[in-house]
Amino acid sequence: MSKVSETESFKTASLTKAPVPCAALVDAFKAKFGATLLRLDVHEKTGGLDGAVQSRDIWAEVEPEAFRPFVENLFCYDFPDFHVMSGDDTGESVTLNYHLSLFQRERNGRVGVTVTVKVPKDRLSMPSIFDLLPGSEYSEREMREMLGVDFVGLPNKALVFLPEDWDEEIKPWRRDESGPKPDMVRELS
Amino acid sequence: MSTTYTIPIGPVHVGLKEPVTAWLELDGEKIVGARVRPGAIHRGIEFMARERNPIQVIYLSERICGICSFSHVLAFIRAVEDLAGIKVPPRGQYIRTLVLELERLHSHLLWAGVACYTIGFDSAFHLGLLLRERVMDVLELLSGNRVNYGVATFGGVRWDVTPDLDRAARDMIRYYRREFTPFREIVMEDPIAQARMRDVGVLTREEAVRHSAVGPVARASGLRIDLRKSSPYEAYADIPVEPVVPQDYLGHAHGDVLDRFVVRVMEVYQTLDILEKVLDGMPEGPFVAEPNANKVLGQLKPAEGVGWGIIEAPRGDDTHIVSLKAGEDNVFWWKVRAPTYANAVSWPLMFRDNELADAPLIINSIDPCISCMERVMVTGGREGAQVLTKAALIDLCRAKTARISGGVTR
Amino acid sequence: MKFTEEFSLNVLRNLPRSLWVTTCNTGSCNGCDIEVVATLGPRYDIERLGMKLVGTPRHADVLVATGPVTHFMREKLNRIYCQMPAPKVVVVVGNCGSSGDVFYKSYNLDGPVDAIVPVDVYVHGCPPRPEAIIEGVAKAVLKLEALAGAGVSLPKQMAEVLEDDGVEEKDVEEAEDLERSHDPASKKEAAAV
Repeated sequence: MSKVSETESFKTASLTKAPVPCAALVDAFKAKFGATLLRLDVHEKTGGLDGAVQSRDIWAEVEPEAFRPFVENLFCYDFPDFHVMSGDDTGESVTLNYHLSLFQRERNGRVGVTVTVKVPKDRLSMPSIFDLLPGSEYSEREMREMLGVDFVGLPNKALVFLPEDWDEEIKPWRRDESGPKPDMVRELS
Repeated sequence: MSTTYTIPIGPVHVGLKEPVTAWLELDGEKIVGARVRPGAIHRGIEFMARERNPIQVIYLSERICGICSFSHVLAFIRAVEDLAGIKVPPRGQYIRTLVLELERLHSHLLWAGVACYTIGFDSAFHLGLLLRERVMDVLELLSGNRVNYGVATFGGVRWDVTPDLDRAARDMIRYYRREFTPFREIVMEDPIAQARMRDVGVLTREEAVRHSAVGPVARASGLRIDLRKSSPYEAYADIPVEPVVPQDYLGHAHGDVLDRFVVRVMEVYQTLDILEKVLDGMPEGPFVAEPNANKVLGQLKPAEGVGWGIIEAPRGDDTHIVSLKAGEDNVFWWKVRAPTYANAVSWPLMFRDNELADAPLIINSIDPCISCMERVMVTGGREGAQVLTKAALIDLCRAKTARISGGVTR
Repeated sequence: MKFTEEFSLNVLRNLPRSLWVTTCNTGSCNGCDIEVVATLGPRYDIERLGMKLVGTPRHADVLVATGPVTHFMREKLNRIYCQMPAPKVVVVVGNCGSSGDVFYKSYNLDGPVDAIVPVDVYVHGCPPRPEAIIEGVAKAVLKLEALAGAGVSLPKQMAEVLEDDGVEEKDVEEAEDLERSHDPASKKEAAAV
């Protein structure tokens, strides 16, 4: 088992804190991160016979420098449940989305938090959050092999899903010249 | 001089993200370290979706995993509905919930059976599979297929619940209320089965939080998390669901394989209650917002953005993130996170200080679909390489049952 | 181990009527695999027909392969096939193993199964019903009998893998000789369910 560095927020985190309403979270994020918070949307999800709002997701885009402080800040509210990372090649940059959840114990309490970061292609590097959230290991390794983003501080950078004899110059999800060549993509029948 | 040697298990495993090769470092029989390498059957489904329109991707997402096929479809559809703002009529929501719970029922029954098979309890395995056939009949009556149902679509479902199906489902609930308890008692009150599963593959509460464990694995470690409660979707908005945790039944959560068994078994009862409430509360009205698939594609064409669909699948939360681009026919990009993807991170922790004979049980305990262990090659041993088959591993497993059953009397 | 002609014919004379089956998931969605498990269960009960799922290819007469073959599994499928004693038949269960089905345009698929190993029976369906799987395996019996009549040839892959394994040179030569002495065309009559 790899050693996990214990930051202050990590130690105090537990799943027992009271939920904070989504609107208050939005205000707190805006107050704390100001200009480094590039975009902040809230998606509402409805359900049931009366179509009431059942849960809300916050979609935040931050500057790469503000990313790690943003995630560390989430530990003040609750231990974030890490779901997954998604990503795409967006021309000059690679966009990464970190999908997390807060407050999973109360009914209707969960707030989904998606943190979006645009990593410029000339320096494809991000700080790893493996020390904060070890559950992010596979996601970071996957983004590394699929999109070519390097994660600083990730102890194991081996391939996850691609076969051992894969040419690591080829990043399957990239839309530029490092994506899969047309002759690699097979039709089978 | 202490000698450790490494054995790889796998790689043949089942599901999209589940196929895992595990290298176990052994000191004698004891596992002292584990490394996990998934990816044996990575098909590049997310890449394939870039060449298909959203309706085609529904059928692709159904084939991510055969056991939670409906969960993946629904998570994908909810992600698209999230970004395009499509509303589902109440009857459509209730039918979706019905199929979700039927799927949970068959998945948990299959897992309970396979877990019994892994510890060499074959009679319980056959009993579990016999029980499971009843829910498969109901699913077949609804959709015409046993595994990939093709039920859900954008804005609702494709098949209505007929009076025949309602009757069959209520008969099925009565059948399980009558027949499932004997199965539970046969396994749970068996001292050998208890001894084989207790304190094996332990994941503590704190580790489950840190490593983002999901579903029955997290609940077996004592975490009261369940998306049906924390962010209710579809008919769960009207039907309260409480997470099933072992401390409510046994007084204390160990986070071991027995607790995972307890959680899944007690969730079967919970599912029967939910099914009954869904059938009782089924509202009248349309079950789909727009039945014409071409019109739906037309609606989706101007949609732009990223959507997030997250639901509680039988094995934990299933997350899909979808992006569409305005004017494009095809899905722009798509990310799938099956529950096992999250739970597999905890595998190395569960292996610690267990015996080699328990490795199949531990791998099985997070329910990575059926564990399809192909062969195990022992290398670095004194007499050179030696091949252990799945059969030999199961024999080892059964030998341990025999060994400890000597010390336990009924 | 020596794969001589007498050895193979000896096996054929004592061909069992009850088939032992091994499965290999070469990238399927698991749907076919749970239907294979369902055929073991009490309702479909494949064991009443004398068929049995075995854990190792070395004991098996029939290989049930499911799924479009991923790049990673290609070599594994080949090895499993070669580990099986002759005579043997391969049954592909499911559409995606037969033709790729929904899995097209991917960078990581080498399939379908018949591009890797010779296939004798195709069972269609996504996934096929347990009855269809049983019928497919039953057709494999006919195929095994046909093989017994025509004589068995060692397929090309066998020789390749023997070479990989560092098996002695003469074994490989023997295998190649055996292959040359038989007409591979007899393997091509695939029975579709």
